[in-house]
Amino acid sequence: MTDVFEYIQFVLAPQMITGLALGVAVVLVAIGLTIIFGLLDVINMAHGEFYAVGAYVALALGTSGVSFWLLLIIVPLIMIPIGYIVERGLIQRVFNMPDRHVTTLLLTFGLGLVVEEALKVVFGPNTQRPATPIPGAIEVMGIILPTYRLFLIAVGFAIVAAVAIVVNKTRLGALVRAAAFDRNMAASLGVPVSLVFAGTFAFGVALAGLAGVLLAPIYSVFPTMGRDFVFLAFTVVIVGGMGSISGAVVAGLLITQVQAISSLIVSPVWSDPIVFSIMVLVLVVRPQGLFGRLGHA
Amino acid sequence: MRDNVTAAPVVDRLALAMRASHVLVAIFVVAGLVFATVGVAMKDTFFLRLATEALIFAGLALSVDILLGYSGLLSLGQALYFGLGAYVAAVVLKEIPSFWVAMGAALVASLVVSILAGLIANRVRGVYFALVTFGLAQVAAKAVYNTRALGASDGMIGVPIVPIDLGVATVMSNSPAGFFLFTLAFIVVLYAISAYLLDTPFGRVLLAIRANERRVPSLGYSTRNARLAAYVLAAVVAALSGALYPMLRGFVSPELLFFTTSGNAVITVVTGGVGTLAGALYGSVILTVLKSVIGSMTEHHLIVIGLLFMVTVIFLPKGLMGFIRPSIERLIGGGSR
Repeated sequence: MTDVFEYIQFVLAPQMITGLALGVAVVLVAIGLTIIFGLLDVINMAHGEFYAVGAYVALALGTSGVSFWLLLIIVPLIMIPIGYIVERGLIQRVFNMPDRHVTTLLLTFGLGLVVEEALKVVFGPNTQRPATPIPGAIEVMGIILPTYRLFLIAVGFAIVAAVAIVVNKTRLGALVRAAAFDRNMAASLGVPVSLVFAGTFAFGVALAGLAGVLLAPIYSVFPTMGRDFVFLAFTVVIVGGMGSISGAVVAGLLITQVQAISSLIVSPVWSDPIVFSIMVLVLVVRPQGLFGRLGHA
Repeated sequence: MRDNVTAAPVVDRLALAMRASHVLVAIFVVAGLVFATVGVAMKDTFFLRLATEALIFAGLALSVDILLGYSGLLSLGQALYFGLGAYVAAVVLKEIPSFWVAMGAALVASLVVSILAGLIANRVRGVYFALVTFGLAQVAAKAVYNTRALGASDGMIGVPIVPIDLGVATVMSNSPAGFFLFTLAFIVVLYAISAYLLDTPFGRVLLAIRANERRVPSLGYSTRNARLAAYVLAAVVAALSGALYPMLRGFVSPELLFFTTSGNAVITVVTGGVGTLAGALYGSVILTVLKSVIGSMTEHHLIVIGLLFMVTVIFLPKGLMGFIRPSIERLIGGGSR
């Protein structure tokens, strides 16, 4: 009996908490993706690169002496104009072409390539790791947990809750949901739809950048970090239902737990195939994902 | 019905477009023959082998175009079949050094896998199709990457040089000019078969699916069978092209299955021109040339490729062929009347 408890205490619980930290991080990236899809009908293939840009900006500013806490505010503020310009200058150019899904997917895919390579030019191809802003560990019931991961989990949940409240309870959120449900009707009722579009895209990009700041101390910073990470975020978005915030949260936490626990049983190298198999299975059984789309209650 | 169409003064627009593609492929072949002659005269190896690789990847792009250009479905995981063909051919060649056995094995493997995967992928459409194909390829890539028997992350080296017995002549897979010409012929045959099939009523059903999938069943056609057939055809084209890769390079690596490979094929098709088939061949050559020219100047050639790709998507959505083909159509359309 004690063996079982020891297994839970020393193996399972730390693994699940590590998984939870990753889960919260994935949810942050996935929420941006899912809101952008829910509102604009655009698959943002460059989302992972925005996450990487956020991490690199944080790294560059951090080494020049800006404190981590300030970065949590500065980086999203830097990302917002970037996102706004991308939406206005690139996405809108092809937005009304036939086959919007494919065209915007291709365009953002190209953008992702360019950004990733630009990061290599500017910062070099090597992996860099910023210092952990909150060092040390806390012992809870005999389980030793790194403080920063607990901080990440708390902050992540706070951000997700804030986003959910803004989208579902405020007037601003109502404008976004109205534009997502029927953009023509929303426009004729006076919603500044094009501003809402660009603003929402910028907001999603800022969330990705914020996730980059938060995750850099754990997962390091390297030019292809976005590409590796966004695959997981896409899986989360698909499983949760494209355009659903609650879906992204549930699926994000679920999938990372499956990943964490399965890697105790089989070799961790198989965790990606397991995750993608879940995605394929969900798509086969329930192609629209677990939850409904933004604005379509 | 067809007689009525040809008898009418109006030329069938799709048939004309297809004929224009044939003309462009004929020009492509002539250019290839000239290139081979120059290559042999200059005793070149490097450029001939690079061009052969471009042709092999043209086959992959052709496969993406069959899906994207005809049924309107974007596959982000066509490397799955390209890699499947390459790995099957490599495994077979190491056991039985016979070209035709390797190609047969790649054909059978791609048929089996694509029918199974097609049943899954064709349950969804649009964006979801792109992501399912991507997911399937990713699962396969990770599986190969972690399988020791297939060389894991190192891939498999030491694929033997094989004679390709064509009945009238035998080409060695290590002869630069010989294998280049063989690959050129092979890709053109793949093009011809695809073009023929897509010009039949089956191809028209696919185009109808692309235009409006909901209306097709009401005209009495099964969209499910047509989509599955297109998926399998695309998979076979990709796998047979991929099977040539280990013969050219003597090795296979898991990179062949990675997203970069699928993504490059998509870039190739979009640059060349979606739905033209000939565009896949031209696009692959253009991309290979760009990569080697820019790659010789800077190691960050992907920035330039990415920017050019974005410019193409925004300003030239029909690609290079969309730019050139209409004038060819006018030329041959005028001649036939």
